[in-house]
Amino acid sequence: MIKLKIVMLILLAEFWGVAGQIFYKKSVNSIETPNLRDIKSYVKFLKSVLAAPATWIGFSFITVGFLVWFLVLAQADLSLAFPIDSMQYVLTLVAAHIFLGEKVNRLKLTGTILVMGGILLVAIS
Amino acid sequence: MGKVTLKVFLLIVMTDINESIAQLFLKKGLVNTGVTSVTFQNMAEFFLKVFSSPLVWLGILVFLVNLLLWLTVLSRVDLSVASPVGSTSYIFVPILAVCFLHETINPLRWAGIVLIIAGIHFVSRSTHTKEDGGT
Repeated sequence: MIKLKIVMLILLAEFWGVAGQIFYKKSVNSIETPNLRDIKSYVKFLKSVLAAPATWIGFSFITVGFLVWFLVLAQADLSLAFPIDSMQYVLTLVAAHIFLGEKVNRLKLTGTILVMGGILLVAIS
Repeated sequence: MGKVTLKVFLLIVMTDINESIAQLFLKKGLVNTGVTSVTFQNMAEFFLKVFSSPLVWLGILVFLVNLLLWLTVLSRVDLSVASPVGSTSYIFVPILAVCFLHETINPLRWAGIVLIIAGIHFVSRSTHTKEDGGT
């Protein structure tokens, strides 16, 4: 039962985290890409991004995700936390495709699954 | 969206390093609260302890600086690219632990590290192909 509670908490934390990232990306996509060699262009980018409501919606979501993650980390048994957390990469890929229209090709899908599998191995080893 | 150039990759690695530092502060702050199990009864007390810890606030500060860095990364590449490439801490942290803390890495963990490196390579390459990945 305790394990089920942890799994639900981790999934909840991931949901808020992924949703927050989608809003971050939406916010950045609505702003002109900065030229990183030009300090003026970069400062303008930072100002715009900090003034965009979507950034703060994302920030709130990620904060909620963190608070839930705090609850997870405070549990004594963490053997499940990191393996399940590796699911965020696939969730992000799916969400980015649906909500941001990001393209998914075979290389990206294979790479994402490899990263997830790798983290799974690191986490259980 | 943009390709994963060396510059973008290094920027992502930087966010990973910051993230690890922030996590370290948070973890220490959390351990210092002495709470090992959170229930509905002690949740308020737990959060009160968490947010009165200077280490937790230091961690939060690093997170905020990192947010600006991460938004910069997202201005260059797709989220579905930045996210998996941003898993380099799973590679560097164990290797640093071997070099400086003389910890050992078992074969399963090495296998995991190799998979992560291959995965990051594939995802990065996906932005360099002419088919639907990059533009």
